[in-house]
Amino acid sequence: MNKFRFMSLLLILMLPAFFTMFLPARVTGGTLIDTPFDRIEAQARGSRVNWYMYGGWTHVNTWVDTFVAKEMKQRYDIHVKRVPMDAGVFINKLLNEKAAGKTTGTIDLVWINGENFKNAKETGLLFGPFAGHLPSVRQYVDPDSITHDFGFPVDGFEAPFGRAQFVFEYDTDRTDTVPDTVAALKQWIMDNPGQFTYPQPPDFTGSAFIRHIFYAVTGGHGQYMAGWNPDLYEKNAPLLWDWLNQVKPFLWQKGRTHPKDSAFLDTLFARGEVAFSMSYHPPHAQNMIMEGSYPDTVRTFALKDGSIFNTHFTAIAFNAPNKAGAMVLADFLVSVDAQVSKFQPENWGDFPVLDMNRLTSKDRQRFETVDLGPATLTPDQLAAVAVPEIPAQYLEALEQDWKTHVLDR
Amino acid sequence: MSWTGNPGSSKITLGLILRLSPLMLPFVVLFCGGVFLTVCQSLGIFTPLRHTGGLVDAYAVILSDPSFFASAGFSFGVALASAAGSVTAATFLAYRVWQLPNALAGAALVYKIPLILPHIAVAFVVLIFWSQSGILSSLAWHLGLIQSMPDFPNVLYSGWGLGMILAYTLKGTPFAMLLILALLVRFDVRQIQTAAMLGASKRRIFFSIVLPRLAPAMHTSFIILFLYSFGAFDIPYILSESRPGMLSLHVFDLYFKHDLARRPEAMAILTLMFCFAVLFIIAYSRTVTHLETGVRKL
Repeated sequence: MNKFRFMSLLLILMLPAFFTMFLPARVTGGTLIDTPFDRIEAQARGSRVNWYMYGGWTHVNTWVDTFVAKEMKQRYDIHVKRVPMDAGVFINKLLNEKAAGKTTGTIDLVWINGENFKNAKETGLLFGPFAGHLPSVRQYVDPDSITHDFGFPVDGFEAPFGRAQFVFEYDTDRTDTVPDTVAALKQWIMDNPGQFTYPQPPDFTGSAFIRHIFYAVTGGHGQYMAGWNPDLYEKNAPLLWDWLNQVKPFLWQKGRTHPKDSAFLDTLFARGEVAFSMSYHPPHAQNMIMEGSYPDTVRTFALKDGSIFNTHFTAIAFNAPNKAGAMVLADFLVSVDAQVSKFQPENWGDFPVLDMNRLTSKDRQRFETVDLGPATLTPDQLAAVAVPEIPAQYLEALEQDWKTHVLDR
Repeated sequence: MSWTGNPGSSKITLGLILRLSPLMLPFVVLFCGGVFLTVCQSLGIFTPLRHTGGLVDAYAVILSDPSFFASAGFSFGVALASAAGSVTAATFLAYRVWQLPNALAGAALVYKIPLILPHIAVAFVVLIFWSQSGILSSLAWHLGLIQSMPDFPNVLYSGWGLGMILAYTLKGTPFAMLLILALLVRFDVRQIQTAAMLGASKRRIFFSIVLPRLAPAMHTSFIILFLYSFGAFDIPYILSESRPGMLSLHVFDLYFKHDLARRPEAMAILTLMFCFAVLFIIAYSRTVTHLETGVRKL
């Protein structure tokens, strides 16, 4: 049989499928942006919104399935369907849909930030700009606080949702005094071999940990805010590798292996194999205590050298079947009611994105009276040490080079 | 089969394709399409972000990275050890189970339990039992065998991938047993009886009469188990160490957690793994055929 011809015929038959990838991205419904928001609400009434979001936190899932779903139904007659999926995965799903020319997809709203947002925006996977059109964003959010996401311009392609900041967790029963600077942390690790580790970058939390050290050992965050500067990176990165390699022999398992993600580190911490855990979510320890996963003697602390904060967002897929509904949900999530409910530790404890000065004193009081629980630092304590996230290119370079300069060394 | 073909064959080929299309189409579109796209993206074609470098840039990056070879060698070792371990254990156990009296044969079905557990569940079982803060460790502590957690042997993080090998062997053994028992059931007992009457020892019977008959099932299960553990992701995700990491985890990180500009690298590793799998099957079957032609048939 003529095998060669057979194969080439098959390939020729397949080719049209791949050419769709070259089709230009469809211009996404600009008209919705010009529609008054009450008309959008009316249009979305009775519809369904598929919200794709990270599903690893039970309490967050419960909050969405109960509070958010109920309020959306009552206020707007919108049915919210939560679909658990990691950001990296739904971005690849959207990429595939775009490549296949699928103009009506399944994803409406996504929970996103950082490199995932950069990846999605650069490849035209997002609808927008829409954030500036949401009444709650216009009314309550300081526009200067949402211009950039990990140094990448937002341009209204995502609406703010919550604020996170990096903290360390320890058990007061096991550890009396905690190291509160990067230098003290290094000394502590060397004095207590095998008791400290961090998740393996590119894990989100582990990657954030090494950025704290990067800021601290290279003279602060300010120099990086202007954007990607390869020369500066080449000059400063070795200082970070030195620090990490000096503590490496004193880490858990002698630094040969790292927990794959923060959940793994939490387990090691809860079982007593290491003395500290870490989280990019200030209320995480309190949540774990409430769940019964941590003893109630666990507390959190932040390093005086700086504790990185970021904003997380929601965005709308380029081929969302229900863009109007997604906008109504994104707007509701920025409302005072949703942000207060989200701030309560029994629901989630995620920090609000609202500018407190723009609220009425009554609304402001609703936030001030929330009891965060003993394990969570107060917003003032956190604000005192808050430093911004690094531009995404630095983050990518640090994650990539960590493997070469620290892990494989 | 020839690559040149004769002029008259094109009509038949076209007709054949049309008639086979209901079967061929899903295979071509899904499997070949997937491989085709993977290879293309590894060369920087059809990538989500426009690729600016040369065609083989991704391969150059990977092949110049010593940690890639460390990972590949490690994945190979783990796959080899777990497949060989599974097949050896399965052959021995299957032979024993087959010899059991009928009354006990029902009870022996417990061997199938790990078959119904998903790989990830087996990984957790190994983690919960063997970690230094795990069940075996606390048992040893209660029995007074160890004084503190670090005294328990560091099985999971020894640098040899023992945790993964343990999990793959647990999962692979019953699978190989299933294939081997299927052959044993059709095995003619009279051959063993005759050999025994002629004075063959038990060892001789096993190696000279039983083993050659089981060889096809052993080879098949070895290849399947080897290739699965070489490329699978679930067990390494729970049990792998950071260094040297398994290739599958490296690809996962590149694909899902890094900048889209690095997509060609992820795809290049997948392409290399695919080529390796194909070459491995060819080399393995050739070796087996070569060995078997040298063996006198019973």
